[in-house]
Amino acid sequence: MMLSRDGISGLVCLAISVVLLTQTFGLPPATIVPVGPAFYPRIVLILLMLLSMILIALDFRAMRAARAGGTAAVAPAAGLPPNYRLVLATFIEFGLYIALLPPLGFRIATFLFVLALQITLEWPRSNKHWALAVLVAAATSLVCFLIFQDYLSVLLPRGTWSNM
Amino acid sequence: MEQHVNHYELLLTHIGTVLHLEYLIPLLIGTIAGVIGGALPGVTITMTVIVVLPFTFGLDPLQGLAAMIGVYVGGSAGGSITASLIGIPGTPSAVATTFDGFPMTKNGEAGRSVWVGVWSAFIGGAIGGLCLIELTGPFASLALEFGPWEFFALFVFALSMVAGLVGRSVTKGLLSGTIGLVVTIVGPDPILGVQRFTMGIHQLEGGFDFLPVLIGIFAFAQLMPDVEQIRSGEQALAGASRQVNLKVSHLSVFWDILCRPFILLWVTFIGIVIGVLPAIGGSAANIMAYDQAKKFSKRPEKFGTGIPEGIVASEASNSANVAGSLMMIMAFGIPGDAVTAVMMGALTIHGIQPGPLFISQQPKIAYGIYAAYLVALPLMVAVIWVGSRAWLRVIMMPKAMLIPIVLVLCVIGAYALSNSMNDVYVLALFCVIGYAMVKSRIPLAPLILGVVLGDQIEANLIQAVSTDADPWLFITRPISGGLLAASLLSVALAVWQHRRETNRVASIAVEEPDTDF
Repeated sequence: MMLSRDGISGLVCLAISVVLLTQTFGLPPATIVPVGPAFYPRIVLILLMLLSMILIALDFRAMRAARAGGTAAVAPAAGLPPNYRLVLATFIEFGLYIALLPPLGFRIATFLFVLALQITLEWPRSNKHWALAVLVAAATSLVCFLIFQDYLSVLLPRGTWSNM
Repeated sequence: MEQHVNHYELLLTHIGTVLHLEYLIPLLIGTIAGVIGGALPGVTITMTVIVVLPFTFGLDPLQGLAAMIGVYVGGSAGGSITASLIGIPGTPSAVATTFDGFPMTKNGEAGRSVWVGVWSAFIGGAIGGLCLIELTGPFASLALEFGPWEFFALFVFALSMVAGLVGRSVTKGLLSGTIGLVVTIVGPDPILGVQRFTMGIHQLEGGFDFLPVLIGIFAFAQLMPDVEQIRSGEQALAGASRQVNLKVSHLSVFWDILCRPFILLWVTFIGIVIGVLPAIGGSAANIMAYDQAKKFSKRPEKFGTGIPEGIVASEASNSANVAGSLMMIMAFGIPGDAVTAVMMGALTIHGIQPGPLFISQQPKIAYGIYAAYLVALPLMVAVIWVGSRAWLRVIMMPKAMLIPIVLVLCVIGAYALSNSMNDVYVLALFCVIGYAMVKSRIPLAPLILGVVLGDQIEANLIQAVSTDADPWLFITRPISGGLLAASLLSVALAVWQHRRETNRVASIAVEEPDTDF
């Protein structure tokens, strides 16, 4: 029987709770206080485990009820389907931005990220739109740098490759 | 009596302080940001306060708080502008404003629709402000009577309320809160400093800082549903560009609001109470207040057709809710919603811990918060008055342009905490977790409260057990026992309500994104 998103979430949380709970047995026992460093984590992790199991059980029950009724467990979403390609692209670009911040430095990495994500989310349809996208990227990078570096004393990353 | 005079003297002194340019400018900028952020559909007040957060790090604590209070007050009113003019609530807390605000605009009364909302927010906020000033002190005195048993029980109660009342599934709400607690057990334990669950990653040895977690959780969770809906060639809000006439007689607007004083006071009371309860925030306050106004109205059948009572109910309660949330954070150190959670994080960066001793130990900050709140209300009206046309133009900003800028500010917000990329990596991790939770329809608010309260729950539990190992004290001490019983009751009530609601809509269940964070 296939699990829905609820069941999968429950399984992930269950796995995390089991792994962490086993780690609590490696923690040192209490010395100066009645309870040790494992006391509270065990309570929290057992609670997480129980709730995960309830979520999985509820999901199974919903699936069984849906099969018995001959209908899908979850009705299809109304309207257009979500554009997951754009979501994935945004995640990848954001990940690249964070990865490239230390080597490229804040100004270059931010300019490239803002430009790339604007283009990804909405392809510029004319030269004017292209110019606007470049302008927004440059302005975001420079204005943020000036405000935070010069006025708010935030030492934004300087590129190890670019020295900028 | 003398103490009361002193109280108001301090308040007046601090209002004078906040009116100095060094505090007034951050408050004004925060209010403008709040109005714009609140008005932008898809950008919540939480997102706006997160964006403003990094700008406050270099300021003194009161300047930073003034900016955030500006965002909070401006945002709660800003949401009503788009709700009234284009029928899309700028924030979840303005949903009920659309019910009568938009029909009123369609009836050719756009100015009346916007200004009934704005002035209701002002009046509701002012009444809420009076309660904030008068009741925070007594609440804090009550909290001073608490021992570790009571605090432990209070935090558990807060968490159980949020978990039970937010979202559509009690199990998921509780699971979310527990995930928040799990986040806080990573790193050193509070007594011996023993490292827990770091998996050999030395960056985790200090545990997870609260703010990168909060920014990460909300950043992608709030922006990605918008990205999912972007289609090539689509222009968001294209229909909103039509010209609207915002001219109105403000005297008649005041009459619209004040001619039904009972409803005004009742919905304001609802807003404050929901703000004080660490649970649901403005998104529920406006709906509940609207429902109550309809029940008490002599013409309930007119609700939804564009009558002022509907707008008054939504906006007055929504604005008063802000005061209630501030009261809770100042007296008990418990954030009523994500916005006050960010404020709490900003305070802790400056080494200030909100809680029962906050007013006595930090009177400058505490009275500064009261003063900033009171000054922010007329400032909000002025900002909307002067710039309503300009803000309308700003909210047409394409999402493709807005989203990258917001993400850059989120990265700066995390980085600026300790000028370190570690916090940015934590942000990235929780961006993924936040989005995964949204797709699994697990509410985010309980997780945030779990992260905020986790350390304190553990510290109070261990302190209580170390003081007296008898576990029955948690139940036999009256306040502690009462709060734990209330926690169980709130979860049981939530289960019952959810089950009833599920049965009611079972036949017409339609999956849709959960926007109530």
